[in-house]
Amino acid sequence: MEIDREFLKGSISLLLLNLLSRGEMYGYEILQEASRRSANAFEFKEGTLYPALHQLEKKGLIQSEWRTAENGRERKYYSLTPKGKKTGREYEKQWQHLTGAIAAVLESK
Amino acid sequence: MQAADKLVDLVVNLSRVPWGKRRCEIQRELRSHIEDFVEAARAGGHGDDEIEKMVVASFGDPAQIAGAFAWVYRWERAAAGAGLFLLSSVVVTSLMLGAVLALQAAMAIGFGTPLQKVLASPHTAIEALDIFFTVITYTGLVALERLFDRNRSVKALTLLAVAFAVLTAVRMAVNYRAPFLAFGVVNGAFFRTTQVFVKTGMARTGIVAAALAVLGAISFPAMTFRFPYALAATCASWLTMAAAYRQMPNAVARMDATLWRRLQRM
Repeated sequence: MEIDREFLKGSISLLLLNLLSRGEMYGYEILQEASRRSANAFEFKEGTLYPALHQLEKKGLIQSEWRTAENGRERKYYSLTPKGKKTGREYEKQWQHLTGAIAAVLESK
Repeated sequence: MQAADKLVDLVVNLSRVPWGKRRCEIQRELRSHIEDFVEAARAGGHGDDEIEKMVVASFGDPAQIAGAFAWVYRWERAAAGAGLFLLSSVVVTSLMLGAVLALQAAMAIGFGTPLQKVLASPHTAIEALDIFFTVITYTGLVALERLFDRNRSVKALTLLAVAFAVLTAVRMAVNYRAPFLAFGVVNGAFFRTTQVFVKTGMARTGIVAAALAVLGAISFPAMTFRFPYALAATCASWLTMAAAYRQMPNAVARMDATLWRRLQRM
């Protein structure tokens, strides 16, 4: 099922912070992980990931570091900052509260 | 993977991220992503031509991605734009003032007027202020246009008009007259509007000449000329100023392009 871009827009920060809370990752890996964990529900256009990552980095929620893999491939790894960990938890609570409230409205008669 | 390289370059170019280092970083990161994608696709048994199409299809709209980067780095762009605006204003004002004063000094010598009388006169100070406010209005409009994606000139002119209205209200409230500022804003806006909306150089020159003639027709009857050659000297001085203003858009465009290119290499 294709998800409306507007829905995704508001939740991308939460998604990225949550994925990175499981360990540092590079861009391509983040997309693969998001796709795998959501059973391919999150298949957003790949280029759109990077501005979102840069935005989070500017806000001081994540940090990045270039590293060279054994095969010589350079990759930029992202990881959460302490502020990012705290914000991620906060976003998660807000999201659960919001989805709970929306579900209550949708299920009400 | 020519199409993929073009895609990345297009994103970076459209992003309007000012600093060269940051642009290289974005380019490097997007290329690295595509390399990962290509490697995975090859491992999945796809051919190069097919992979190229897959990259383009899965990457997303370059303009949309660039727009998102532009939004992320909007404050850096604004700061760079402000820096360029100041530097460009100072350099172009100095160049124009230098050229105008040199020409007027040469004419003064021709008319037999002592040089000191020309260069140290209140008229020279007025001219310098006129040029200064005209140039900062013109370069300010160029800088403001950079903030927008569409209808740039109209939006920049609207912003300038609002800022000028606020400034005028403040000036009136504190009873402070600043005729040079008003002249500069109107003059700068006039030259920018002509530059943007009139397409040929000949037509622009014609409009400037017509505006000069109208201004002369309004101003000259109110002037008193104490010396026989004063009318000729005033006309020559005006022509010099008009010629300098006519060259201003070219000077600003060159200065702006040079500074922007340098910034993108930093």
